[in-house]
Amino acid sequence: MPSWPTKLTVMSQYTPRVEAPSKVTGAAKYSSDVQPTGWLYGMIYRAPWPAAKVTRINLDKAKKVRGIKAVAAVREGERTVRFYGEELAAVAGTSKQACLDALRAVEVEASMLPFVVNEEIAKRPDAPRVWPDAPNLSEPNLREKGDVDKAFADAAAVVEGFFTTQIQLHQPLETHGNTVSVAKDDVTCWASTQGVFSVREGLASHLNVSQEKVRVITEHMGGGFGSKFGPGVEGGLAAQLSKMAGAPVKLMLTRFEESLAVGNRPSSFQNIKLGAGADGKLVAFEMNAYGTAGVGAGAATAGGGGGAGFPAPYIYSVPNTRVRQAHVAVNAGEGRAFRAPGHPVASFGMESIMDELAVKLKMDPVELRLKNDPSEVRRREYTIGSERFGWKQKYKPPGSSDGTTKTGVGCAGATWGGGGRGTQAEVQINPDASVEVRCGTQDLGTGTRTLVAIVAAEVFGLKPEQITARIGDTQFPPSGASGGSTTAASVCPAIFDTCSKALEELQKRAVMDDARGANWKAACKKLGVTPLVANGRWQEGLSSSGAGGVQFAEVEVDTETGFVKVKKVLCVQDCGLIVNKLTCESQINGGIIMGLGYALYEERVMDSATGVVLNPNFETYKLPSFADIPEIEIVLLDMPERGVIGVGEPATIPTAGAIANAVANALGVRVASLPITPPRVLAALGQVKT
Amino acid sequence: MNPFQYVTPRSVDSAVAQVADQGRFLAGGNDLLGEMKEYIASPRVLVNVKNLPGTQDVVIGNDTWTIGANVTIAQIEHHADLKRVFPGLQQAAAEVGSPQIRNVATVGGNLAQHSRCWYYRQRDLHCAKRGGDTCYARDGENKYHSLFSGNPCISPLVSNLAVALATLDATVVVRRGGKDVTMTMAELYQKAWEEVTAHNSLGPTDLILRVQIPNNGCRSAYLQVSEKAIFDWALVSCAAAARVDGHRLNHVRVVLGAASPIPHQVAAAHDLLEDKELDDALAARAADLILKDAEPLAHNAYKVPLAHALIRRTLKQLVG
Repeated sequence: MPSWPTKLTVMSQYTPRVEAPSKVTGAAKYSSDVQPTGWLYGMIYRAPWPAAKVTRINLDKAKKVRGIKAVAAVREGERTVRFYGEELAAVAGTSKQACLDALRAVEVEASMLPFVVNEEIAKRPDAPRVWPDAPNLSEPNLREKGDVDKAFADAAAVVEGFFTTQIQLHQPLETHGNTVSVAKDDVTCWASTQGVFSVREGLASHLNVSQEKVRVITEHMGGGFGSKFGPGVEGGLAAQLSKMAGAPVKLMLTRFEESLAVGNRPSSFQNIKLGAGADGKLVAFEMNAYGTAGVGAGAATAGGGGGAGFPAPYIYSVPNTRVRQAHVAVNAGEGRAFRAPGHPVASFGMESIMDELAVKLKMDPVELRLKNDPSEVRRREYTIGSERFGWKQKYKPPGSSDGTTKTGVGCAGATWGGGGRGTQAEVQINPDASVEVRCGTQDLGTGTRTLVAIVAAEVFGLKPEQITARIGDTQFPPSGASGGSTTAASVCPAIFDTCSKALEELQKRAVMDDARGANWKAACKKLGVTPLVANGRWQEGLSSSGAGGVQFAEVEVDTETGFVKVKKVLCVQDCGLIVNKLTCESQINGGIIMGLGYALYEERVMDSATGVVLNPNFETYKLPSFADIPEIEIVLLDMPERGVIGVGEPATIPTAGAIANAVANALGVRVASLPITPPRVLAALGQVKT
Repeated sequence: MNPFQYVTPRSVDSAVAQVADQGRFLAGGNDLLGEMKEYIASPRVLVNVKNLPGTQDVVIGNDTWTIGANVTIAQIEHHADLKRVFPGLQQAAAEVGSPQIRNVATVGGNLAQHSRCWYYRQRDLHCAKRGGDTCYARDGENKYHSLFSGNPCISPLVSNLAVALATLDATVVVRRGGKDVTMTMAELYQKAWEEVTAHNSLGPTDLILRVQIPNNGCRSAYLQVSEKAIFDWALVSCAAAARVDGHRLNHVRVVLGAASPIPHQVAAAHDLLEDKELDDALAARAADLILKDAEPLAHNAYKVPLAHALIRRTLKQLVG
């Protein structure tokens, strides 16, 4: 089995992104910046009702709008609309305004149907059905072990709670979309995607052409967080319109559309009961939970789509557990994978009830976790973290700080799988000593391109800037989609294997024992006129899966206004062999900030009476601003012997749980629903009279 | 948005004449362009008033300070003399939007801005304020809405400047029907209290020219609480002004924002505070009076304790 060098010179350093200058200067072209010759704007007509029977879509007037080159219905004939914003038709034209005008000229004959957007109402047997053949509420999925009832009866302490989490939207700064050019024999797509090959597969199937005719390019893209794997309905429509118009079509969604139909983190409603012995050892756990993934949920879909299920009792092992989880369908856009799907939801509920138990047992929350967390790595992280954070000095009994502004601390833990898988790569060493590495992965903004350059530079004894890393193109050797924190662990071993083979070959051809570093130029020169090309693939032994991670949060809560200020978040994260400390820490910063948004600000708001989304913009869908972001301290638990492990997801998991526990510690009462807003804090304090 | 003509008149008379045919005045455009893009407003002509003479300056007078309608929010935020003499106004300006918004947003636009109610702004709804039959917010998602209203619409006044200016006894000079009329802040918003479709008392051809603030020796303060630390609308805002002698207050004004379609003030509270030594108990009694007639809805009852705290804190800041 191959292994990483024990002495690293380029890897595990703080290396700025190789594309940083081009991003800073604006020279970098994101997928949404691409403007192929003769391109047209594309836009989608979306249902303005939450549920309707559509009998006819007339695009004649839309087609006649000046500048419009193509119009297309998503589907011919009658159809049922099941959520506000569902795609019905699309137009392509020479200007944005032409498309906007055309959308207003679309005529739809439809009759509205009863609908439901609120989970609690949708659960009722008499609620309007989202899917006609099955109730909105699925049969709960039951997982049971041990004798739960007896364990609770024997437990020294039992706590119960009801916790809810909101619908969170992905909100990548670059919206969903593609520019697609369908010519006679080939299709080119510039996609804002997490998977160039998965977009190729989707487009080829949509257009009914063979995959070799479809090329997908993602030079730079602005975030996906799990919601950008396939071409989407919008990609299919762009292809269709391009084919009809004989011109490339750029169809990027607006921020408004981004809030309707391209995924979300499902909501949850969690009834949790937890029992422990007098020593704090967990003995019994029971959960009754439900949540919605919009139209992608309920009995009819068996919780398909993004899925509203989540792990329970999450990171803890409890000998007696009974978990019932159900999915509720509502008339809203469906859930999609979202940065650590299920885990932030699970962490918030479980870590909240753990702190309730700690209070009941009069036990320090960190101590309770050390007693019950089965992961040796996480227990170490709690020990390191509490020392660094000053937990012993900062932790006080709930609600015991003085004054109207109260301080509190909390902690929470996470687990994530990740791990590497089949990626291939190719390296070309040119006689002039230049190096090109090609790999069909893509950089979501996490720094993948830089990782490619770093690993190649490490093998060749060069600097990262001496490597040209080419990624984001289906013409390069295949790599998987970037999801599940698998990219670094998939790509780095493949680059290492490829470059190691190339080095061996170069040394053979140059007849040199060591072609690296100072000898590089001389060795390449000996290639004569023919560049050296080598191929390689992901190999076992250079990566692994399974990251833990714990976080500590410190907050100040103004008990008269309900305003929560997060002062500090400390993260202790294990991440195997760190390829680039700078982008690794950036990933963790981003994960924590996203977790902060989940904890305090973000929530898709729908109107029960009309079924529309009320906050489809950044004015009222609130994301953290710089002023909201606390001091973030990151402690990387370096474990090079484990190989490369992805870190994108674990860092966002425990933030909300840690903040919620800190708020509860400050107040002495718990805000059991996310996001923790001033209205909810004031309500929890009993100050709101209704 | 729909097509429109764009004109840049050189005089107020010309501006008022040109806006008459289904036009709208354009200054910073933050509010108007949003409405046009959502097809809430589709003016036939945009009358650019940014360069009208006499509307760009802060003029310091002996008795009265004048702020032109086209002075930007950022200018107020960074104006050293305004900050010294009218700190409440400066603080209210500093809390508006983001630096980018404050750089282009104007005093006139901030005062004349329309409702931010998310039902009013929803492109596929036609609420009462837009001429429809229903105020969806009353039985809907109303956590950002008013505690007080005189009509079916419950979208609150969100102009920070209006709240601060109301405590300063400021007046607004408006060109109306060929002559300049002077309105108090209460008069500027009175119609929004009475009429469901009104955002303020301005008619379609009324143009705000300037704001006048008497230099009456009052100290002022402004506080707001939002869901986020910056770049967010106030859940509730509060401004206060008074002549301060030690802890004794005279000529007291306390005004709430984001609580009513108008700057919310209660004369009985002002009377209570007049010529008294401010202490915690007195401030709390004043807050009780100001909130006495609040009519909380399903999701905005938290505004009562929040406003109560803000009133007490703002008053305290006056004497602090």
